[in-house]
Amino acid sequence: MLLGLAAAVFLATILSLQIELDQRHDEQADRIESLRLLPRGELLRPALIGFHHLGADLIWLKIVQVLGEPVVTDQDYEWLYHALDVVTTLDPQYSYAYDVGGTILAELANRVDWSNQLLEKGVKANPAAWRLPFVLGFNYFFHLSDYVKAGEYMGQAAKIPGRPLYVDTLAARLYVEGGSPLLALQYLEVMIQQAEDPQLRVIYEEKYKEVVISRDLGTMDQALARYKQTRGRNPQTLADLVKEGYLAAVPEEPFGGEYRMNSETREIESSTHRERLRLHRPD
Amino acid sequence: MSTTETILQTEGLTKTFKVGFWGRHVTVLEGLNLNVQRGEVFGFLGPNGAGKTTTIKILMGLIYPTGGRATVLGRPVGDSRAKDRVGFLPESPYFYDYLTAVEFLRFYGHLFSLRGAALENRVTELLDLVGMSHASNMQLRKFSKGMLQRVGIAQALINDPELIVLDEPMSGLDPVGRKEIRDLILRLKERGKTIFFSSHILHDAELLCDRVAIILKGRMVACGHVSELVGQGATQSVEMVVEGLSSEGLEHLQPLTEKLLIKGNQVLIVLRNQQQVGNALEIVRVAKGSVVSVTPQKGSLEELFIREVKGTQSSLREGQ
Amino acid sequence: MRVLSIALNTFRENIREKLLYNLLIFALLMIGSSVLLTRLTVGEWDRLIINLGLSSMNLFGVLIAIFVGISLVSKEIDKKTIYTILSKPVPRYEFLLGKYLGLMLTLLVNTAVMVVGLIAVMIYLDAPVTLLLFEAVGFIFLELVVITAVGLLFSTFTSTTLSAIFTLAIYVVGHLSTDLKQFGAQMDGLGKAVLNTIYYILPNLERFNLKGQVIHKVNVVGTDVLLTTAYGLAYAGLLLALASIIFQRRDFQ
Ligand SMILES: Nc1ncnc2c1ncn2[C@@H]1O[C@H](COP(=O)(O)OP(=O)(O)OP(=O)(O)O)[C@@H](O)[C@H]1O
Ligand SMILES: [Mg+2]
Repeated sequence: MLLGLAAAVFLATILSLQIELDQRHDEQADRIESLRLLPRGELLRPALIGFHHLGADLIWLKIVQVLGEPVVTDQDYEWLYHALDVVTTLDPQYSYAYDVGGTILAELANRVDWSNQLLEKGVKANPAAWRLPFVLGFNYFFHLSDYVKAGEYMGQAAKIPGRPLYVDTLAARLYVEGGSPLLALQYLEVMIQQAEDPQLRVIYEEKYKEVVISRDLGTMDQALARYKQTRGRNPQTLADLVKEGYLAAVPEEPFGGEYRMNSETREIESSTHRERLRLHRPD
Repeated sequence: MSTTETILQTEGLTKTFKVGFWGRHVTVLEGLNLNVQRGEVFGFLGPNGAGKTTTIKILMGLIYPTGGRATVLGRPVGDSRAKDRVGFLPESPYFYDYLTAVEFLRFYGHLFSLRGAALENRVTELLDLVGMSHASNMQLRKFSKGMLQRVGIAQALINDPELIVLDEPMSGLDPVGRKEIRDLILRLKERGKTIFFSSHILHDAELLCDRVAIILKGRMVACGHVSELVGQGATQSVEMVVEGLSSEGLEHLQPLTEKLLIKGNQVLIVLRNQQQVGNALEIVRVAKGSVVSVTPQKGSLEELFIREVKGTQSSLREGQ
Repeated sequence: MRVLSIALNTFRENIREKLLYNLLIFALLMIGSSVLLTRLTVGEWDRLIINLGLSSMNLFGVLIAIFVGISLVSKEIDKKTIYTILSKPVPRYEFLLGKYLGLMLTLLVNTAVMVVGLIAVMIYLDAPVTLLLFEAVGFIFLELVVITAVGLLFSTFTSTTLSAIFTLAIYVVGHLSTDLKQFGAQMDGLGKAVLNTIYYILPNLERFNLKGQVIHKVNVVGTDVLLTTAYGLAYAGLLLALASIIFQRRDFQ
């Protein structure tokens, strides 16, 4: 009887302490902290006495948990690179981790350098995974505008059995067209199709629309240039370009805004994205 | 014993065990009634598997009865105040074999909150009592079975208990050892202790006990004073050894005897009952023989025991 | 007083156990081996010593806690030594508590020996010994306090083999319980309820893990130390109370 009472009191204490301790800490911060404090993979691996694959899975799950939250509070993302490095040291053949990890580092964390580092490590350990050089190529193409390097990686991906057909097409076009918006759009279409994570898909779709703006601006810039050349002056509005036959139609702005002529600079711009995406301007 | 006081009592004590994977019930004790008075030496007898150890474990609070009631020193079993005044030696005991005899007894003394000089004196006294003083600083792992049994008894006496419960205290002991334990029990009885012990060795029980209970398959089949139990229905035969009897005399004796054995010059005659003794002596005198010995044969507890066991077994067989 | 006598007797019994010495020697060898390993790595070698030292201490402590803990009571029942003790005026819960405290004393001495070994290595290699290190060791001991009680609870109603398996399982799941809760947060209905219940009922052993903090010199708030200590002790208390309730009803056969 007395023992039962004692048990009940202890149980109540435990539950309240559990809740109290949880509330004293920001759970996401704790999780990020625990990932940041992971021992190096080389040290952790022997400690897991043969269970390092399971270890890799569990750490990966933890990473996914943090990234799955609506807002990632810690923006330095060093923890992410460290955790991914540990996962891929524990299980170097975990190509999915390089793939998704590399993509997230580049797209969410804006750390293309870390992304490339991770992917290079993956390519070395998994020469048969076509996605890894493919994503590397994407990084060089979009983030570093290094079309030669991008072409090389895409060529590497195009040699690996099991790749989809469009890899070959993309590789071929990269050699020829460099950084054209049309190529970029095709590349992004592939990325959107293959993205499993809705968050990533949203990022790619944004990018896609930005490239669409860049493509449209390019087309309209050409029309504007021809207009200036033949008429010797700027048109009043974009509608003039269409009316006088220099442009088939003013394209639809993908973000739901509009294209217009800046009254001061006399340059064509998008109402939603004033800054031009410089990377993809066809040279 | 002028004033009687019940020291140990069970009423309708029942115990069933669940055995096997399906939890089949096996009844081990069935409505056992026991009553032990202060100052008695009480023998608890029965064949293997009769339920003696089970009963004793219930009395010591080690297992719980399925039905019935048991009190020790007037309190329900398991009550600490009763346990304070009880000593117990389990069946074929094992002890912490890394302790020496002295450490072992000291440990049990601590459980009764004995300390200091009082404890040390008690330990020395007890080791002396059970004749183990010579081995007081030896580890129990080096003890023989008989030695263990003795320190086991010493352990049961550490708190100077009023009631001493011993489960087969003589098992594994040589005749000298058994005699010593018997003497010890009698000495404890002299000091006014009540002793309740189970045993197979009926001879010992017969020598020691004021009363005995015989149980069989969890039921009481006999209970009472040894002399009463043995007297009941037992034919009192008489053994007679005669020397130099003529063959004529032998012939005359024949009808009186149950058994007749000739060993050289001597003849062993077993007479059916005491009434025949006079006639037999007369025949021997006439036949010029000489009587070497006349011994009345008391019925033994063993006879009774075997009769009861066989009786119950056959009645059970008929019942089936 | 009775509890203390039983505890001291248990301690005595434990220190005669060969398993204990084997594990202790193995742990000391592992701690000592960091002297050699530091020759192999470049830079950051005090973290290697601390990592190896605390991990060995933790691992071997847990092994001893589980394997000695589960046999504490069952050995007494098997050897029937429990008969003489419980026939004396010793309540069953006092017996359990005594056995438990005896093993805790053994583990305390054991941990102390390993700490001395670790500090000796650290001083030899000129690595700084911090207060945080002692906090981490304290928490490792707190984990042992809980794990031993888990083993004891299981051993009051199952065989030693099953107790060992269950205790190991609780040890592993206890370290993952926070993760389980997070997985649960992304499920709905039953899955979430189950995982949440597991989280609140099972011991959250990851709370006692300060190894990362020691290596990265991240200080722990005093209130957290206090609350976590209270958590560990309350948990052990709960387990002991449950074990006593079960033990009280048992038949010793
Ligand atoms: N835990 C148990 N589970 C099932 N049956 C049991 C259990 N303990 C005892 N028994 C049974 O109860 C019966 C009585 O056993 P107990 O040990 O009390 O006999 P005993 O009279 O002491 O015998 P012995 O003279 O051989 O010591 C036996 O048939 C035994 O098989
Ligand atoms: Mg028996």
